[in-house]
Amino acid sequence: MPALPSRRLAPAAVLSTAALVLAGCGGGSLSEDSGDGGDDTVTVGLVLPASGVYEPLGVDMTRGWELYLEQNDGMLGDREIEVVTADEGEGPDVGVPATTRVITQDQADVVVGIVNSATALGVKEGLASSEVPLIVANAGADDLADGSEWVWRTSFTNGGIAASLGEQVAEDVGDEPVYLMAADYAAGEESMAGFREAFEAAGGTVAGESLTPFGTTSDYQPFLTRAQNSDAGAIYAFYAGAEAVSFVTQYREFGAAEDLPLYGPGFLTEGGVLEAQGDAAVGVQTAMHYSNLLDTPENTEFVDAYVEAYDAQPTTYAVQAYDAAAALDAALATSDGTSGADIAAALGEVGEFSDSPRGPWSFDDDHNPEQTYFLREVEDVDGAPGNVVQGELN
Amino acid sequence: MGWLDANLISVLNGFALAALLFLIAVGLSLVFGTMDVLNLAHGSLSLIGAYLGVALVGDGASIGAFVLAALLAAVVGALLGAALAAMTSAITDHLRQALLTLGVALIAADVLRELFGSDPERVSAPAALAGSVDVLGRPYPVYRLSVVAVAVVIGLALYYVLERTQAGAIVRATVADRGMVEAIGIRSQVVLLGVFGVGAALATLGGLLAGPVLGARPGLDSTVLLLALVVVVVGGLGSVRGALLGALLVGQVQTLGVSLLPGQASFLLFGAMALVLLLRPRGLLPSPYAHAGGHA
Repeated sequence: MPALPSRRLAPAAVLSTAALVLAGCGGGSLSEDSGDGGDDTVTVGLVLPASGVYEPLGVDMTRGWELYLEQNDGMLGDREIEVVTADEGEGPDVGVPATTRVITQDQADVVVGIVNSATALGVKEGLASSEVPLIVANAGADDLADGSEWVWRTSFTNGGIAASLGEQVAEDVGDEPVYLMAADYAAGEESMAGFREAFEAAGGTVAGESLTPFGTTSDYQPFLTRAQNSDAGAIYAFYAGAEAVSFVTQYREFGAAEDLPLYGPGFLTEGGVLEAQGDAAVGVQTAMHYSNLLDTPENTEFVDAYVEAYDAQPTTYAVQAYDAAAALDAALATSDGTSGADIAAALGEVGEFSDSPRGPWSFDDDHNPEQTYFLREVEDVDGAPGNVVQGELN
Repeated sequence: MGWLDANLISVLNGFALAALLFLIAVGLSLVFGTMDVLNLAHGSLSLIGAYLGVALVGDGASIGAFVLAALLAAVVGALLGAALAAMTSAITDHLRQALLTLGVALIAADVLRELFGSDPERVSAPAALAGSVDVLGRPYPVYRLSVVAVAVVIGLALYYVLERTQAGAIVRATVADRGMVEAIGIRSQVVLLGVFGVGAALATLGGLLAGPVLGARPGLDSTVLLLALVVVVVGGLGSVRGALLGALLVGQVQTLGVSLLPGQASFLLFGAMALVLLLRPRGLLPSPYAHAGGHA
């Protein structure tokens, strides 16, 4: 064997390493203010992604949060609010230090936000030991909120959304089995497991399943073909963001849409994702705790205010942050002081939120939202696809 | 259902993916292999092509409008390639080239994010090619079939130019012995500029053509760069045939391989690359002209 031409291989190694570093790069921080407010001022650490793949969620959630504050003149529970922001980035490598900084350097009394479940799990213990409550406004890991007084969640659980679809799909497909697909990471697995349990309990059978490599799959054809080759009568799929755009578009292109109805958690067709999918998404049925087309007076008022402020339709993500502000508002209205422990204790007494855009909800024993999940179907609404609410799921 | 019936779509789709990868990777391979320049901004060029598609190609565009957008993307790519060539021409050290072009890639990613936002976007296929045709009873997108045809034409043209024309001969000669080429009165800087321009034009063109398949989103640049790199490393640096073979292999691994071994999907691509490198460290079809010495 001739000597290895290392001159040719070394650059390749440099190239691939650099590309991987590039892929893993997170953003910097955006924290501005520091300093502890007086006793009556509550410092809120708003930790949301301002860079990376979750940035669109961060934008929507920041808007929801700011809209609530604006509607309440910057006060929550009659107390002055000082907001310090930090960039959550894509994963725990950026998000955990960012959160640590807002509670140490910026002396935040409460932390709101967190999109990524791994980040949320990573900061959970540190916040508890610092006695700073965390109001999770997105991250859906099933075990994140477990009744600990320091963790509260205004969003959803992966398993909860998935389970709400089980009975409905079992009813729709009759005796035909369903093929399960999900992105191969914690949320995808939890979603698949949650659906499978509820679906099988309702008498459904599973034709097969595929966990697709997370973040690196751009072509779902091989997996779709497997589903088409199976004896399935429908597909259940968990995807979000750019993956949801590729998946639903290809589901249409490769003809799976013609004979396999598609069900999934609402992230599959939410916000900017649905815009990019366009007509390809028509007919997709999803479960979600909100739709901007929800026809209630509370939601109509919210949507009007949101559109007025940002010239964009609100998403579920925006509502979750809006409701996080509402929860903090209710807690601060009754809390004895502004320390983390006071806020945590008050969060346990807030009761039901009856005027949320998503409909009435409250914290359950684990501090997850006790809420209604809706069945939505993508239909053409005034020339653009929208998630039209078909009914309630639980 | 027979094996072929069940997997024909995967094989076919592997060719479509290979066509796109070939268009994007061949530029990286030529610049890298023949001119000895590491261009980490190659993925950005491709993403710029995709975003040009987002900006220029509306829903239900005609084939003419799509072709016009593709030509414009190629022109933009050629200009950007020339700029990159000018930037890198004075630098011979691979590490410095990598750092410089990585910096350019990071800046480009931020500029694109400012211009187009961070939501994923989709490029529409031209209306006439938007549908599906039946292949053995399974619908297959017409657009992907047309991408294969385009890639075949461009591949043949490239091969012809490099192997059968005087310009191609100069490029090959520059690769083999830059000093000698300069000694007979040809400025190697001009050759570098030309190769870089063509390579970059193919990357933006490929990016735009890939738009209806891969979409356009932040982060796609590094995904594409990584895939192109695997194609180049597998195929061998600096040869059109190598890039073609690498693209075909990667395409099939990503579709047929994944379809047959879904459980190993995330491992297959790099597993295949590792195997090729073990058996053929220079890639499957390295350029026969590649010189052994360093930069002139």
